[in-house]
Amino acid sequence: MTPGDRGAGGFAEGEFHSPDGAFGYPAPTTGQGTEATRRQGPRGASPVASPSAPAATAGPAAAAGAVPMVHLTIDGHQLAVPNGTTVWHAARQLGIEIPVFCYHDHMPPIGACRMCFVEVEKMPKLATSCTLEAAEDMVVRTNTDRVKQGQRGILEFLLVNHPLDCPICDKGGECPLQDNTLKFGPGASRFIETKRTFGKHVRMGPVLVLDRERCVLCWRCVRFGEIIAGDDALKGFERGYHSQIATPFMEPVASKFIGNTIGICPVGALTSGTYRFRSRPWDNRKHQSVCPHCGCGCAATLDVRGNDLARMRAREHPEVNDIWLCDKGFFGYDFTGSADRLRTPLVREGGRLRDAGWDEALERVAGALRGTPPEQIGVIGGAGGTNEDAYLLTRLFRGVVGTNSIDFRADTAFPQPAAAAPWGLGRPISDVERADVIVLLGCDLTEEYPIVWLRVKKAVDGGARLVIANPWPLEIARWARHSVTYRRGTEPAVLAALSGQGAPDDAAVRSGAEAAVLRDAAALLGGAKQTFVLAGRTALEQPEGAAVAAGLAALRAAHPSATVSLLRGRGNAGGAQALGLLPDMLPGYRPLTDARARASIAALWGRPVPASPGRAVREMLGAARRGDLRLLYVAGADPATSYPAAGAWRAARERLGLLVVHDAFLTQTAAEADVVLPVLTYAETAGTVGNLEGRIQRRDQAVLGPGEARSDSAIFTALASRLGAPFAFSSWEEVSSEIARLIPGWAEDARIAPPPITAPPSGADTPRASRPGEARGADAIDGALALVTGAKLFDRSAVSLRCPGIRALAGEAFVALPPDDAARLGIADGDLCEVRSGRGALRLAARIWSGLHPGHAYVPLGFEAAPVATLLGEDEAPFVTVRALVPAR
Amino acid sequence: MALPPARPAPRVLSRETLDAIAAACARYPRAQSALLPALHAAQAQLGYLPEPALADVGDALGLPVTEVTAVATFYTMLFTEPVGRHIVRVCTNLTCHLCGAGPVLDRLRRGLGIRPGQTTADGRVTLEIAECLAACDEAPVLLVDTDRLARVTPEAADDLVRRLGADG
Amino acid sequence: MGDLILTKHLGPDRASIDAYLATGGYRAAAHALRELTPDRVVEMVEQGGLRGRGGAGFPTGRKWKLTPKREGETRYLVVNADEAEPGTFKDRTLIEGDPHAILEGSFITAYANGVHHAYIYLRGEFFLGYERLSRALGEAYARGYFGRNILGTGFDLELTIHRGAGAYICGEETALLESLEGKRAFPRQKPPYYPAVRGLYDRPTVLNNAETMAHIPHIIAMGPEAYKAAGPPILYSVSGHVVRPGVKELPIGTPLRAIVFEHAGGLRPGRTLKAVYPGGSSSAILLPEHIDTPADFDSLQKIGTMLGSSAIIVMDDTTCVPALVARAVEFYRDESCGKCTPCREGTVWLSQIFERILAGRGRMEDLDLLDDVARNMTGTCFCLLGESVPPTLRASLKYFRDEYVHHIKSGACDLAPAATPAGAAGGGRA
Repeated sequence: MTPGDRGAGGFAEGEFHSPDGAFGYPAPTTGQGTEATRRQGPRGASPVASPSAPAATAGPAAAAGAVPMVHLTIDGHQLAVPNGTTVWHAARQLGIEIPVFCYHDHMPPIGACRMCFVEVEKMPKLATSCTLEAAEDMVVRTNTDRVKQGQRGILEFLLVNHPLDCPICDKGGECPLQDNTLKFGPGASRFIETKRTFGKHVRMGPVLVLDRERCVLCWRCVRFGEIIAGDDALKGFERGYHSQIATPFMEPVASKFIGNTIGICPVGALTSGTYRFRSRPWDNRKHQSVCPHCGCGCAATLDVRGNDLARMRAREHPEVNDIWLCDKGFFGYDFTGSADRLRTPLVREGGRLRDAGWDEALERVAGALRGTPPEQIGVIGGAGGTNEDAYLLTRLFRGVVGTNSIDFRADTAFPQPAAAAPWGLGRPISDVERADVIVLLGCDLTEEYPIVWLRVKKAVDGGARLVIANPWPLEIARWARHSVTYRRGTEPAVLAALSGQGAPDDAAVRSGAEAAVLRDAAALLGGAKQTFVLAGRTALEQPEGAAVAAGLAALRAAHPSATVSLLRGRGNAGGAQALGLLPDMLPGYRPLTDARARASIAALWGRPVPASPGRAVREMLGAARRGDLRLLYVAGADPATSYPAAGAWRAARERLGLLVVHDAFLTQTAAEADVVLPVLTYAETAGTVGNLEGRIQRRDQAVLGPGEARSDSAIFTALASRLGAPFAFSSWEEVSSEIARLIPGWAEDARIAPPPITAPPSGADTPRASRPGEARGADAIDGALALVTGAKLFDRSAVSLRCPGIRALAGEAFVALPPDDAARLGIADGDLCEVRSGRGALRLAARIWSGLHPGHAYVPLGFEAAPVATLLGEDEAPFVTVRALVPAR
Repeated sequence: MALPPARPAPRVLSRETLDAIAAACARYPRAQSALLPALHAAQAQLGYLPEPALADVGDALGLPVTEVTAVATFYTMLFTEPVGRHIVRVCTNLTCHLCGAGPVLDRLRRGLGIRPGQTTADGRVTLEIAECLAACDEAPVLLVDTDRLARVTPEAADDLVRRLGADG
Repeated sequence: MGDLILTKHLGPDRASIDAYLATGGYRAAAHALRELTPDRVVEMVEQGGLRGRGGAGFPTGRKWKLTPKREGETRYLVVNADEAEPGTFKDRTLIEGDPHAILEGSFITAYANGVHHAYIYLRGEFFLGYERLSRALGEAYARGYFGRNILGTGFDLELTIHRGAGAYICGEETALLESLEGKRAFPRQKPPYYPAVRGLYDRPTVLNNAETMAHIPHIIAMGPEAYKAAGPPILYSVSGHVVRPGVKELPIGTPLRAIVFEHAGGLRPGRTLKAVYPGGSSSAILLPEHIDTPADFDSLQKIGTMLGSSAIIVMDDTTCVPALVARAVEFYRDESCGKCTPCREGTVWLSQIFERILAGRGRMEDLDLLDDVARNMTGTCFCLLGESVPPTLRASLKYFRDEYVHHIKSGACDLAPAATPAGAAGGGRA
């Protein structure tokens, strides 16, 4: 692939929204593509002008003035379309429906199903309109007898081997085969032979069900895996009339995006293991929602039958998730209906939690808040609710209680100063696909922010170069120009080499990464126009985190046009950050030190905003251990399992006077609490949420919550009243309006982007800063391995455990070892091992990961039964010893 | 091209086979082009392509095993199930059909006791239908492993069955 | 036999480079490389009137000119030696009998088109051909006809033999390229994937048939005029119910009657001609009344069939036409790649109907149904594989309706040996 070989794969700057999503999508063209896109045919970005709003949707190409128009006639109507537009798109522009099965707007045409025939003057044969480019003076007819005969013939072919089991098929009612047959098909079949049979409804793992008899071999699901997700999850096997969609030897499908194939399947061949037989499309109420999981904030629709969540589906958002959803969202919606939901408040009495009324519980909290000096009160969490919840949290605790010790970052022991190193993507997610160089530094993208990967994939297909640096090889490594693994803790050296400020050879020696690769990657960065450097949890959550942030700031200084982002935070972390659930930040990314900001907020609230800096989570826990912090209020977080030093939490908890927890489940933290308040989840409340890019999206209430559970907002409002400073909001919209008075531009669908990363101040408030470039890389000492941890998309956290699909996809926790170290330790794949650090031990099955940097061991986060935090401390990069509990085979 | 990702230890493929795959790779600008040569090499070693062999080929070429398997199942000369030590491929296409392939095939079926697509119980012979072998001047023709037999009569088919029964 | 050009030296020992050099081998290549510009070679091939021998008959020189020659852009040569069209065996005959001719032609073609890496896509079942072609290539490399700085001229050329693995669809040029890229051999959409412009790895690609390659050295050696005056020659594969089947090198346009009754020795004693495929199984069958048609592109096209791969399959009066057509349909069914609907579903439906008719369970309405299903496949398939089914099927329904009716009405066939289609029981992949 040559640097200039980008073709028309990328979008020009510009946006094309359309209210119904029907028009305004880029039409595929048959123009020049690239090597990567060639495989499946042309793709392109020439938009189709909508007749109703030509100015708005003529789009980038027309705006650039580069694409000439061609004029054609379809069914007697004349129209002009940009050169490269297919006849199918041109017809759609006129409102003429031409049926398709294989063609899908988000993939280049393949011309396989032969359903979309049209007749074109001077062409002897029927033409497939999805592959045919409009040409000057072309005369097209879509409704002649010949076209109808052709379409009837194709539908008859498709139906001869279709089981016609619509009454028991989940797709019934939203099935293109059904719809097209009614509109375009023959009335009866002349087929009297034996239909092709396959073993029925094969379970392809926990969430996908395959029925090959229903399949019409449109290849959409196969091409989705090749073109969109890059995971090659489902494939066509055999050929001809034996062709079938499958995995090798029918093994469970390995994908993080397979739910989308269910969505785009034009028949009932792929159905959802979690939605199967639960509802009928016409019985579902549809509610606008936003996926609550990873922080990308994918637009979603919740389908509800009665008061049951039947399924979550993607809702189109061109700048966020396009039309896709990862499987965590697709199959991870139903924890809300778990029997384990907390239904009443709980208070501790005689060492045990018992049911209590709201009055009693709230009064116990309010009394403690009244009786505790503000500097002895801390708040952890707030990223689990809506923006309005978060805002009321800050207004309650800053304005009424009087503390700045608020931190939503419950899972970090090494926080970078939020004002200098805010989390999140500075640009729309969709901009990533326009990048020409993308660097992932310690960022396991598909595990943490899967939907962003789809944009990276698109960029790579368009010619962008992907550079991955990580202690273990990512599953997307085959798409990378360079994929290097480095020693834990040497990110500053790697960064220095990448930004051209350190010698690659030197960095290579320290990091264990290859010098030639670092040199080439640095050269790529130097020559790039649109660079994204995405640093993730692995790079940041460690003693060197501050130095990594400093290195990133230096990289940004060296490449001012580059987008340098810290990809961290889950759920509504984006909103929590924007609304200042941070010890050093106020709403709207204004630093606490900004006196004018404090004053304007105080004026709005009618209460002073304390000026003394608050404590971050780590400092709160330290203060608690010293007896300086007595009351900890945890809102929708579970630091007992997620704070990366279980011992530090435990010691802090023991000295607390009162621990209050909001949650939907009795998490570990809730179980340790003095007061537990049951809250509503994402599906049960309305409001807005922010995402990774700071975008504000509305989600509606879809179902009623269980028992007496309340929203966070309701709880904060009740507490404010009890503390004598009642809030006067009667709806979330009113809260949102007040936020808009504080944060300019705050509105639904607006994007309040985090400010760019700047050099963090060198000072005592960073937990532990080492000199940039200093290699604190860990070599195995006395057989010990450097422990690295990482998030998994499919985990067994409190929430995931209550989603049967996700729980099954996750499997058990494990410890991954490099082959050489495993061999040295006599450990084989699958062996049960003890993983021991100076702080604790876990029993885990071993997996051998070729490519994991030598001398390292990897344990995933987010498995309740294997709390990796028990191995970790706040002050050191951990080492572990690993030994097999059963002899190696 | 991307650096090859770190490769796990091969499951079933021998050093020689992996060397052959590496040599094939060097003949193409993209590794995937070496997939058919690699599958031929793997099958030459193992007789067929069991799942670990497909996975090894994928690792060697940096391809997902799904893609490797999907490709392997497309081509009739590649087997993902065990086959006999000898493979008899009988052309039954137009010219051979006209020239008496039917009786020849009947003799083979009877003699071997199997239908096309099957392997004798002793694992000795797999019988396959071949499409036109481009030797219509020798019709009817068949392939015994790599050897082409010309103008096969039903009697010659009986001989073949005896011969295959006699040797390894 | 003194007139023979392409098949003069066929033999089992021709993989030896000494044997080939002894008959003037590689002189044309050396001459082209040392004395002729690439453009001059293209011109000579065009003047020689050579038309591609893969089936479509596109003028070879013009095809080469369609391949853009942009400075610094990699171009490829791919030789289609995936001969699999039923009845066709000329390429295999050359590959086994004169492999260096194909290599030398590839050499000259590569030089003419600025290609430095050529691939010969060789049919997987050609075990003997692979052995001989590989040996020939090894010896040619050893003598410096391939590799770096060929004959000291600075021209580099790598040639790789790529073995197929059993898929007729790979004869379709874009499917062949997919297969060469290591994928399932699904044909590509044209436009934009015309191999000349966007071929192998998306690069401009010269894609020629193996026999076409064998012609090239002779055009250079004889000069285009002499070559043209010799016919130009082509290879007819003649098989079926004739006394002397084989590859017949003849001037293009030799009448079918001469090919069948003179060069192939005519029918077996006492037999009469029933039908002829003039260009492989994809061409519509002809009746005895068409036997005086010249076997060239235009004449055959005029009567609704085609020269195709110039494979002439001769059927005498012992032939059961429905059984033969059923066999052809099964072939396309089993070789359909499965990408598009009409080919994948139409072929299997047709073969099911045939199976019923041949088993004595036919219905009279099946005749119209066969014709209608075939009609629904006509002009609707993605590539020519599916489009190859209807011509002969529909022609047979027209010309041999009585035979179908007899099968349906009597439930049996009167024509003994061919009555049981040999492949009917196998049917497809295991």
